[in-house]
Amino acid sequence: MAAVRHSSSDGSSHRGMLLLLLLPGLLALLTTFLLPLIWLVRASFASSAVAALKGGDWTLESYRTVLYDPFYWKVAWNTLYLGVNVAIFAVALSYPIALFLARTKSRWRGVLTALAVAPLLTSSVVRTYGWMVILGDRGVINAALQSSGLTDGVIRLTNNYFGATVALVEILMPYAILAMLSGFGRLNTQFEEAAALLGANRFRVFTRIILPLSLPGVLTAALLVFVLAISSFVTPRLMGGGRVFVIGTEVYNEATVTLNWPLAAALSVLLLVLFGSVILIYQRAMRALET
Amino acid sequence: MADHHLEIDNLVKTYPGALKPSVDRVSLSLPRGEMLALLGPSGCGKTTILRMIAGLIPVTAGEIRLDGRGISAIPVHKRNMGMVFQAYALFPHMTVAENIGFGLEMRGVGKAERTERVLKALDLVKLSGYGERRVSQLSGGQQQRAAIARSLVIEPALLLFDEPLSNLDAKLRDEMRDEIRDIQNRTGVTSIFVTHDQDEALSMADRLAVMSEGRLEQIGTPRQIFDRPRTDFVASFIGAGSFLTGTVVAPGRADVPGLGILHFTGDVPAGGKARFLVRPHRFVLGEGVNAFSGVVEHVVYRGQILTIAVRAGDHRLQADLPTHAATLPAKGDRVTLSVAPDDVTLVGEAA
Repeated sequence: MAAVRHSSSDGSSHRGMLLLLLLPGLLALLTTFLLPLIWLVRASFASSAVAALKGGDWTLESYRTVLYDPFYWKVAWNTLYLGVNVAIFAVALSYPIALFLARTKSRWRGVLTALAVAPLLTSSVVRTYGWMVILGDRGVINAALQSSGLTDGVIRLTNNYFGATVALVEILMPYAILAMLSGFGRLNTQFEEAAALLGANRFRVFTRIILPLSLPGVLTAALLVFVLAISSFVTPRLMGGGRVFVIGTEVYNEATVTLNWPLAAALSVLLLVLFGSVILIYQRAMRALET
Repeated sequence: MADHHLEIDNLVKTYPGALKPSVDRVSLSLPRGEMLALLGPSGCGKTTILRMIAGLIPVTAGEIRLDGRGISAIPVHKRNMGMVFQAYALFPHMTVAENIGFGLEMRGVGKAERTERVLKALDLVKLSGYGERRVSQLSGGQQQRAAIARSLVIEPALLLFDEPLSNLDAKLRDEMRDEIRDIQNRTGVTSIFVTHDQDEALSMADRLAVMSEGRLEQIGTPRQIFDRPRTDFVASFIGAGSFLTGTVVAPGRADVPGLGILHFTGDVPAGGKARFLVRPHRFVLGEGVNAFSGVVEHVVYRGQILTIAVRAGDHRLQADLPTHAATLPAKGDRVTLSVAPDDVTLVGEAA
């Protein structure tokens, strides 16, 4: 009896200790993540910025705007389109690099990996300005094309979706490389050797062994890049020069220029829904790949 | 020449930047249907030879011939070699049947025939009914069988095994050892396996090639290797024993300093020096032709045998005695060990 009571009190004190240890983390999550999220959802149902702050009536007005105004459908479509494009190109360009880094036996591998992700050390704002210099109307590319006589006028490379896409692809590539490197765990040269011994030439070793085994990494990278691209704001804003309308830029506009906080909040919730559905698709695909 | 299926002629492999060759002028040949063990400590070059035969790495010099034709220039995917990897290397994204059928698919074998041959291969390795399983759903022994089936189904010129049993636990290892030998006998495929385990090599192979530091030390049947080792390395790597060096004073008689006269069978001219090996189980307790007395220094009881170390003169002799005797020597006892001249192994002439 005594032993039982002792062990049970021991168990509950153990659980109490665990809760105590978790408390700081839970509190931090609650205050920095959960509360703002709740407040965001609440604000999206408010009738005005003041109401969003002070509480008051619940209204579906902002969602009605988002759902019935064709402009916001266009914005949602633009965002999706940009995200998919950026994900495709960033993954396609990063894949050979990540594959090389994962497979090389060079002793420079560590250095090369560090170099591949080194751009992360620079702020994406700075890198965006870099792309403005390169792609601008008087930028490096246009100047070179004109002085070589290949073109007469200016080729619009910036202040449009093209510029935003190019800059985002480059900015997000290090993330894609990192995600792929961590997702290439199943790659193993022994599988390639075994396939070659069984009669597969290099092309078939790639299509039948390397590609399928690296798909989980590719998928993870695509998800990461897509999520970062559709939630990006600085790069589409700067590279778009006010002509690129994505959810990120519109949330910023509504929140700071128009001061329509409920609408900004509703657009943010829309973005969250987009995230959620993409993550669901990702999980489905991963499960299919791994069984 | 013609009856040799595989011939390796002065094969050399030097990795870029390496000072010494990993494989140094190794020559050996295999008749059709033989199972050869490449035996040696890690880093002796045995796996390198296997990988050169498979075509996974290029040869530096020398020749590999199959039925008299050089194959060194044939790329790996056209060489038709079956290889069972140490970790099996079964493709994790395919079923067992897809794994086994992969080689046939690469050869353009039609689906119907492929299915039939895969089923036959599964049957051969006793995995019938496991074809639709995922690789991860198989136990270690089953993965091994699947890997063997995958290599055999393409009817390879040679079947190569890289440390085939090292990933299995002890009980399964004995089972797979018999199983592999049985499959090899039934299919008659010429096989080479690499191992560092002497028991594995002695019990599975028709012949053993013992390697050390890139060189071939000795090749022969398990009995030849065990009873007639030609070098100190082979003698000490395979089994235990007491080494004795002596000067031959008359045919069949050598004077071993610090021990006495040793009678042996073998042709060494008088005046020459020779190295001898006596296996522990060749010693018997009691007087005989070669009798050496000494004090028991160390005793280990092993159930069926008692291993003792006896200090005789300047030498320490190791003997395995049967444990059914009425009294067994104990530490500190004075005993006499003897060995028949036929049981003294002449390892080689010493410098």
